[in-house]
Amino acid sequence: MHLNVIARFISILIFFLGLSMVFPLLVSISYGDSSTSAFLLSILITSGLGIISYIGIRKNENTYLNHRDGIAIVTIGWVIAGLFGALPFLFSGTIPNFTNAYFESVSGFTTTGASILNHIEDMPKGILLWRSQTQWLGGMGIIVLSIAILPFLGVGGMQLYKAEIPSPIVDKLKPRISETAKTLWKVYLLITVVQIILLFVGGMSFFDCVCHAFCTMPTGGFSTRSASIAYFNTPYFDAIFIVFMLLAGINFSLHYKLFKGDIRIFGKDPECRIFLVLVALLILAVTVDVFGPIYHSLGSAFRYAAFQVTSIITTTGFVTADYEQWPALSRLILLICMFLGAMAGSTGGGIKTMRIILLIKHGYQEIFRIIHPHAVTTVKLGGKPIPKDILSSIWGFFILYIGLFIVATLIMTCLGLDMISAISSVAASIGNIGPGLGIVGPVKNYLSIPVVGKWVLIFCMLLGRLEIYTVIILLVPEYWRK
Amino acid sequence: MKIIIVGAGEVGFHIASRLSNENQDVVLIDKDPQKIKRITENLDVQTLLGSGTSPRILKDSGIEDADMLVAATDSDEANLISCLLARNLNKYIVKIARVRNKEYLEEKNLFGQEHLGIDRIINPQSVMVKTIINLMKVPGASEVIDFSGGRVKLIGFAITKNSPLIGRQLLSFKELEGKLLVGAIARGDQVIIPTGSDKIKLDDLVYIVARNNELNHIFELFNIGEEGFRRVIIVGAGQTGAVLSDELDKTKISAKIIEKDTEICSHLAAKLQRVIVINGDGTDRSLLQEENIKDADFMVAITGDDESNVLISLLAKKLGVKRTITRVGKLSYVPILSDIGIDSVISPRLSAVRAILQYIRHGKIITVAPLMGEQAEAIEAEALETSDIVNVPLSKLKFPKGAIVGAIVRGEEIIIPRGDSIIIPKDRLIIFALDQIVPKLEKLLTVKLEYF
Repeated sequence: MHLNVIARFISILIFFLGLSMVFPLLVSISYGDSSTSAFLLSILITSGLGIISYIGIRKNENTYLNHRDGIAIVTIGWVIAGLFGALPFLFSGTIPNFTNAYFESVSGFTTTGASILNHIEDMPKGILLWRSQTQWLGGMGIIVLSIAILPFLGVGGMQLYKAEIPSPIVDKLKPRISETAKTLWKVYLLITVVQIILLFVGGMSFFDCVCHAFCTMPTGGFSTRSASIAYFNTPYFDAIFIVFMLLAGINFSLHYKLFKGDIRIFGKDPECRIFLVLVALLILAVTVDVFGPIYHSLGSAFRYAAFQVTSIITTTGFVTADYEQWPALSRLILLICMFLGAMAGSTGGGIKTMRIILLIKHGYQEIFRIIHPHAVTTVKLGGKPIPKDILSSIWGFFILYIGLFIVATLIMTCLGLDMISAISSVAASIGNIGPGLGIVGPVKNYLSIPVVGKWVLIFCMLLGRLEIYTVIILLVPEYWRK
Repeated sequence: MKIIIVGAGEVGFHIASRLSNENQDVVLIDKDPQKIKRITENLDVQTLLGSGTSPRILKDSGIEDADMLVAATDSDEANLISCLLARNLNKYIVKIARVRNKEYLEEKNLFGQEHLGIDRIINPQSVMVKTIINLMKVPGASEVIDFSGGRVKLIGFAITKNSPLIGRQLLSFKELEGKLLVGAIARGDQVIIPTGSDKIKLDDLVYIVARNNELNHIFELFNIGEEGFRRVIIVGAGQTGAVLSDELDKTKISAKIIEKDTEICSHLAAKLQRVIVINGDGTDRSLLQEENIKDADFMVAITGDDESNVLISLLAKKLGVKRTITRVGKLSYVPILSDIGIDSVISPRLSAVRAILQYIRHGKIITVAPLMGEQAEAIEAEALETSDIVNVPLSKLKFPKGAIVGAIVRGEEIIIPRGDSIIIPKDRLIIFALDQIVPKLEKLLTVKLEYF
């Protein structure tokens, strides 16, 4: 453990986080809303503290980061980013309660999109932009962003990258880690800009375009409207959101390869193929289920089913329909989607398609081995063998995911939530989705959750975004042993 | 620059590590998942699991837009095939191959443009033999590196108990100004590029630059005396041993070579005229005594096994040999060996790394020699007219900290610089620099920054 290296890195992180608040500040000034002084104060405190601690902490000759330092930086960095991200909410008086403000902030950075705000339309514009911006920063990752802009990390960057990137298999797009991070952010930025343009063409106000695009690409799900996307209610916007949510749920290195000219890459990649087929099948099932009792035309049944399935499986959490009213099968499918999640290496959460595929393949392999005890087998994905240690790490992940889900659900039930609400609030938090079922359903929010429950969910959101291991390792005594 | 390295063994690892520290784009290919894992955890390079002789893997590595391919696996054949494939996939790529088999090397036109088209063949054995002979010529030194075709020598020697230099400040060498220059001091496992106020301490490894023809004078002064050498014992008749004994056979030096394998011994004995071939175990104390080790000037331990070599050298020292030269393959051993009393270490891998790096450096850099493991380098480079370093007295020059000009070669003249020396265009400079300064230095040497 190199404590001063970790502290210095986090100082830089919060300095830049403070700087990024300049955008909502400018918006706040131009709209003349009530949050201007809150942002000024937040920038001063955040960046100020960043500078002071950076200068105050003695420079260590050895700036080499080992994997333990990487894990500590990422986890502590995220916890602290959430803390400073909550300052504008507190100072502007929009969310005066600390727990609520921290919940909203972490929900933003982890791209969960679970909100405790009741009257979103009444919020100052600056605050609304800041909510969306936390999601956009958290989506591709604040640490990956710092790897892209800070030149001095070198090998240490790889440790950080591995700890933050949501994928069991980490591949580099470029020989240098900083170039890889830069490339990912460029792709991310480019797709975001395209979405802003397309939304603007459809007639959305520029401010709403930016806020919603900032929440689509990271699979976040915050909206500037209480009714979420249902407020806009046109097939054009629904279609745009469906396409961009799917794009956000696809591995970003595939987007990069697409831009490099490999136009058939989505069909060639085995995980992507399965992901898209899975989404199509689930949409079909839900369409059939809701056609008739809920929607009388096949067109609208398909439109709302497609939107809701895409929104939940990519872990975005936008809403166009009150799926609380849907039949039990559809609701259960949506609940399962919360666990499935998007592709590895995307901005989405959940267990992720790649892990699901490999778990099933590995399970089948075990059955096969009982039939042919002497057979030599390897689990393959797209013709490439998957090393044993990756498989066992995926099993570990799966068991931890489900185990933590069960423990958190138990706590939520102890706090007085009904079973469906407890299950779905934890599933929606650990999977970084946002809206769940029951009291946290699509037209409700998380304000009514007890304080302890909120902290449990905050912890779940961080677990989900950083893929369990990165967070949980810090809680193991073995980690701190010298 | 994008460089593809095939083979993540020690040579591949060290080249990759150097180049990625200098901000080059490096892609490493290896078949062994363990090695790939180690690289991904330690270096900022892209890795590819697979064979370097597979066209598909080479394409995956982005060979089409790469500038250079370094084939550094342990197999000559694999290296040659990689280069051949690379040539097929990218006409303009520069190819460097590590080749050890003597039979291939003797086929002079095999590597030319008509056949394999390899730009540079690296043969660590021959580099190593050259190093050994150089070391023998300067017995007090633990490292000798030639610059400017041998006219300037870089010599590393350990400061022993009775050295007159202990405790002296570098500033106090007034009488030697213009004759020699201390370019680097290795202390413990650190390398210092010294300034005038630094002092020399016991057990330092001091690197100096001097003219070849003034070496004797300097040795006298430093009490490391050159006695010349007459008796050499070599342990191990592998490829290096064979080449070395071949070389020594042509001189008047009395050499003995000890080898365990009877087959190899008789083969060697048939070939050699003057060198005595002895069949036996180099770790055998009585054998070494029998061969009069205590009167030998040099003991060269070059068997294929690192640990045996170290033990043979220690044993020989104990039995009274004056100097030892030890072959060590594992680079991680190198920095600790001086602590246990091993004086000169040669490493085929370090030799290969050195030779490959020399070739890779772009611009006007001519020779590079990594010092002390890898922490510092001695660089020979040409001063360009456009560079900021010309026509300014050295004392006024804003040279980066951690770098120092060790010598200036101007045509026939060799200048060991002082504060008032001036570099003029076309001079060849020998510069000592810490590892991390090298990229900065490269920039300084090649371009002039006109806007700040």
